[in-house]
Formats: sequence, structure tokens, C-alpha cells
Amino acid sequence: MIQFNSLSKRRGSQSVLSDVTFQAMPGRVTAFLGPNGAGKSTSLRILLGLDRPTTGTALVNGQPYNRLREPLRFVGSMLDGSGAHRSRTARHHLDWVARAGGIPQRRVNEVLEQVGLAGAGRTRVGKFSLGMGQRLGLAAALLGEPEALVLDEPVNGLDPEGIRWIRSLLRGHADAGGTVLLSSHLMAEVAEIADDLVVIAAGHVVAAGTIPQVTGGYSSLEDAFFGLTGGEEARR
Amino acid sequence: MGPTMRSLVLAELSKLRSLPEAAIAAVATVLLGSTIAAALAANDRNAYAGPVDAVLASVPFVQLGIILLGILSAAHEYAGGQIHTSLAAAPNRMRFLAAKSAAVALVVSFVSTLTVGAGLMVAAITRPSQSAMAASGGAVPSMLVGAVLYLALIGLLAFAVAILVRHLAPALVVMLVLVLIASPLVGAASEHARWLPDRAGGLLYLPDTDAVLSVATGAAVLLGWVVATWAAAAATFAARDA
Amino acid sequence: MRIGNYFLAEVGKSATLPAGWAGMAVALLGSLAITVLNAFAVRHAAVDGTPEMVAGTSAFEAGFAAMPIVGVVAAVVIGVTTIGSEYTADRAESGGARQITASLAAAPHRLSMFSAKALVVICFIVVAAAVAIPGNIALSQAIIGDVGTETVSTADAVGRSLGTTLYWVLMGLLAFSITALARSGVVPLIVLIANGSVVSFSLLLTLVTPLAHWLPDMAGRQLFGFPSELVVEGGLAPVPGAIVMAGWTVVMLVVSGIVFHRRDA
Repeated sequence: MIQFNSLSKRRGSQSVLSDVTFQAMPGRVTAFLGPNGAGKSTSLRILLGLDRPTTGTALVNGQPYNRLREPLRFVGSMLDGSGAHRSRTARHHLDWVARAGGIPQRRVNEVLEQVGLAGAGRTRVGKFSLGMGQRLGLAAALLGEPEALVLDEPVNGLDPEGIRWIRSLLRGHADAGGTVLLSSHLMAEVAEIADDLVVIAAGHVVAAGTIPQVTGGYSSLEDAFFGLTGGEEARR
Repeated sequence: MGPTMRSLVLAELSKLRSLPEAAIAAVATVLLGSTIAAALAANDRNAYAGPVDAVLASVPFVQLGIILLGILSAAHEYAGGQIHTSLAAAPNRMRFLAAKSAAVALVVSFVSTLTVGAGLMVAAITRPSQSAMAASGGAVPSMLVGAVLYLALIGLLAFAVAILVRHLAPALVVMLVLVLIASPLVGAASEHARWLPDRAGGLLYLPDTDAVLSVATGAAVLLGWVVATWAAAAATFAARDA
Repeated sequence: MRIGNYFLAEVGKSATLPAGWAGMAVALLGSLAITVLNAFAVRHAAVDGTPEMVAGTSAFEAGFAAMPIVGVVAAVVIGVTTIGSEYTADRAESGGARQITASLAAAPHRLSMFSAKALVVICFIVVAAAVAIPGNIALSQAIIGDVGTETVSTADAVGRSLGTTLYWVLMGLLAFSITALARSGVVPLIVLIANGSVVSFSLLLTLVTPLAHWLPDMAGRQLFGFPSELVVEGGLAPVPGAIVMAGWTVVMLVVSGIVFHRRDA
């Protein structure tokens, strides 16, 4: 289970997040929905210990991420695409991640196979397309066979086949009892994948619950989204 | 607590080995050092009386390669989003930085030893035959150990600066200005230049003597620079958003 | 008109990049600090009646001492960052987005863009020189005042200042061309900054072959006009040296311009 408890973050005089509270439950796909700049990535970065919250906590199984004994076996994460240096080959990238995470090297081949990069292991990351970089990021997330997946905009840049593949991957992961938390601004995608929704706008959670709960009173998810996030002006 | 220290150090070594820029910098450092030492030793018009002197005279050039290596190993984390992956795998930042520093210390020491060793070998070969190997112009072989120590410490200083500023080019300019520009210019105008890292550390391998510092205290001053810069880098690294 | 628009766009790009200002800051603050140190050393020596402790008591020399070295660092940094910033990878880099893609989309005529960038390098360096050189000399004169003995005539001072400016500009353009060729600023930063210092690869090469005096930085070094007893012997006189250095610069600019024009971004 992933919990955000009254998370607030200020950068200088600007408030990036205020009192963000929600949970992502095991066995369910939770989608974190909001316009660009609403605070989705910042929340996930705080969860992973990359950014510091001003107040509040973000916990994985009741613990901060940096207290986990073997973090990669609890949480597989992907932010900002591949998260790899452009000069390194895909396989070398996964090699060091596995080493740092105490994960056996045979997993490197397995995840390369799983994300469809088996033939591109010796290619340097700088030569990858956006979608291939995304697949490499997912491969790193899957390395430790984690219980929870935390993914920032996972369908970004994926081709239709890739989108279909990730949909079944995430569904399968949740159905097997895992926790999935993903952020997105693509409503059609979210409607297909998610069980639960958390809608964020300008650093505030404006709605949370199952899809029917959140969209109740609106004719579609899209209408609900613009209604909840303050419509066009919030998108700037 | 996270992964064991051993696996973190191995992961950092694996990162450095699979980074082409770092491999090129390491190989270029060894080749550059050997070429310069060979050329100086072969040249009979200058004062480099023995192979040891030729190797020691190549150190100011070799340090440029070591500095680049130290900077690359830190700055490449920030070229793209690799630092996110690193901290996801090793969320305890102090342990991560300690492992990374240990790996960099190993690599710069190894490359420095290799460069000085290779330089000594080629300098001995290219040395004109009339003067025997033993003929050494005031330099003693223990200075070679000093040279390796100097290079390794300068590499670690460069690494700490790069952790602090996070980008390759600014870190490179800071280090180059510090070791190449500041010391002669400040040295011409003020005796306090002896406290600069390259001046103080230079006592480890240069025949110069200093009125205030000895070899040991000079080395300690350089070590002090490394420790202070590393501490500042660690404090910043722990506090800021990655 | 195209080159004019490109030029303004490039000025904007460089001026909004912290690295562009870093080059200027290096020139101004670095030289300032050295000049203060130098000038006070000279002043103390002159007042104490121990002029033998310093090379001379000329206010011009004290203010000018930092110019060759610090100014060259600034010129190299300006040259490298003007083009090097185009090739830095974006932070979110699946696929490795670089600014060069956006730049060439906005300014598809590559040779015009390349020329506009080179022009920006020249302008930034000339501005840096126009502030740093007279500024440091004035500062030095203010500190030393009447206690020193000026040994450099006004005509010499102007000539050496202009020569130094030319050297900076040529050095900046060389750094710019090498960076464009290598698509990375690492090698030009190391080699050109090292060559401006006592740890100079060119100087080392002169031990091996006298031909090394024809290398750009060695050829142009008489432009600083230091008294001959203070510089390494040999090499070319100021005017032929400047011509050789300018020749190198033009050749490098042409080669890198052609490569920039032809290759895939």
C-alpha cells in the first residue's frame, strides 16, 4: 500500500503541493490524473525520496522509501523516461541497477525480453526512440519483481501495441495482488486502465475514489476532469 | 537500510566501466602521461635528467585527465535522469555517496598508478643511453608515490566539486581555473598561494621546498581541501531535491 | 535580413543561458581579484622602498597581468558554451532531446545560424574585453596611484589592449569551432585553458619541435606585448604571429562550418 499523508511542498514563495492525501491500495490500479504542472510528478518524486516535502509524509507499506531494506524489491519506479545515461548500452544500464539493488543478473535478460528490448540490449540509450526509452525505464522498474509499481506517464511515446501491452501488464500486476500507481494526463488511457482515480489540480487533490464515484454527475470522464480541475483556465 | 555497501560499490564500479566517456578519459590519461614522459626523457636539451624526473614533469598534464575522470563520474548522473534511477536503487543518500566516492577513489588511484608506472617504463626506454637509469637529477623514487597520491587526491577533489555543481562544464572550469590559473597568478602576487590545493599537494612530487609547509603538511592541506569540499558536497547532496 | 534575425535569436539564447554569463563573470571577477592582489603587492613594495620584491611598479603592468590568462579562460568558456549548450541532453531524455533540434527547426539555414553564433561569440568577447581591460587598469592605477613608476607609454598600452582583445576573440572562435566539430566542450575546455596556463601542451611541443611555435596560441602570444625578458624565447613577432593565428582561426571556422552544414544534427 502507498500512502500520501497531508503532503505539502513549497518552492520559494510558490506552493507546489498543499495537503495532498490519498492511498493506492493493493490489487488495484490507481491513476493520478491532472493537467501539466499540477504536482503529479512532484508527489511521485517525494514518494521516492528524490524531493523533500515541506510537511507531511509519503509511505510505502508504512515506511518512507529510503528506509526500505531492499527498495527495488518493494517498489519499481519510472520517472522521466529511461533514467539511463545516453552513452551507456541498455544492458549495461540494467546491469548496474541490478547490482545496486542486490538482484541476480539473470533478471536483466528476463526484463529485456519482457519489455521487448531483447534485440536492443547492446544499443546505446542515446540512440533509442522515445518509446524504447520508456520500455527501458519499465524494464528497470520490473527488475526486482516489486510488489508496487510507481510510473510517471508510462504510456508517453509508446506505440499502440506498446500501450496495449502495458495495459495488460498493469492489469495483471494488480490482479495478482500488486499495487499500481500511475500518473497521466491522458483521460482515455486512464479510463481503460484504472480502478481508482485521484484528480489533482494546482497542488490540491480535488477528487478521489473509484471511477464511478469521481465521474458521478458528469457525462464522461473528460467532462469530470475539466469540471474538477477548473476547466480551460487551469490548463493555461 | 537498503542494499549492502559492497553491492553499492560494485554497482558504481560497473557504472564507471560501462560509461564510454570514462573509459576514454582513463585510456587517454595513461597514453598522455606515457607520451609526455617519453618525449621529455628522450629530449637531451632539457633538465629532465632521469626517467623519474621526466615522469614527475608529466604530472601537471596527467592531472587534467584525472580531473576529467573524477568530474565525469559525478556529472554523468545529472546528464539526463540517471540520478533518479540511482537514488531509487539506493535511497539512502549518504550511503550512495559513500559508495560512489569509494568507487571513484579506487578508479582514480588505479589510473594514477597505471599512468605513473607506464610513464616510468617508457621514459626508461626512451632515455638516451649515455646516462644510466640511476642518474636521477635530484628526484627520488619516493616522489613517484607522492605523485600517485597527489593525482588520486586531485581526482577526488574534482569529484566532490562536480557533486556540488552537478554539471560537467562548470565543474571542469572551476577545477581547471583552480589548478592551472589561480596558482601561478596568486603565486606571483601573494605568498598565501601555498595554501592552494595544487601548490600544497605539489610538495608531494615536486623538488620545490616551501618555507612553511613540509611534504607531510602539504599533503595534509590538500587532504583538507578534499575533505572540506566533500563535506560541503555531501551536505548539499543530502539536503536538496535530486 | 535572415542573418540579422538569426543573430538576435542567438544573442537571446546566449544571454538567457547562465553559462553565457559565467564566461563574463570569470573575466570580470577573476581578473578583478588578481588585479587587487597585484596592485597592493606593488604598492606595498613601492611604499616600503623594496621595488625589487616585484617585477616592476608600473600600474599598467599590475592591472594587465591577469588579462592574458583569465581573459583567455573567459573567451574559451564563451566560445564553448555558445555552441556546446545546443548539444546538452534534455533532462527528460528518453530519446535524448537536444536543443539543436529545436534550433535547426527554427533556423533551418545552417550556415547563417553558424555565422550568427560566431558573431555572438565575437560580440560577447569584445564586450568582456572592453569592460575588463580598461577596468582593471583603472583599478590598478587607483590602488597604486603616484607611488609607482609608469614604464608603459599610452600608445603601447592601447596597442597591447587591442592586441589582447584580438587574441581573446581568436581564441574564443577557435574554442567555438572545435566544440562545433566535437559536439562537446570537454576537449576544447581542457586543451585551450591548459594552453593559456603554464601547463601548456603547445609549450611542451616546442621542446620537441620548433614548428610548435606556429600553433595558434603560440603564434599569437606576442599580441600581449609583454617585455621580451618575461616570455619564453623564440616564436613569431606580433604581426606575423597574429596573421598565423588568424589563419588558423579562419581555417577552423570554415572546416567546422562545412561539417556543421553537412552532417545530421
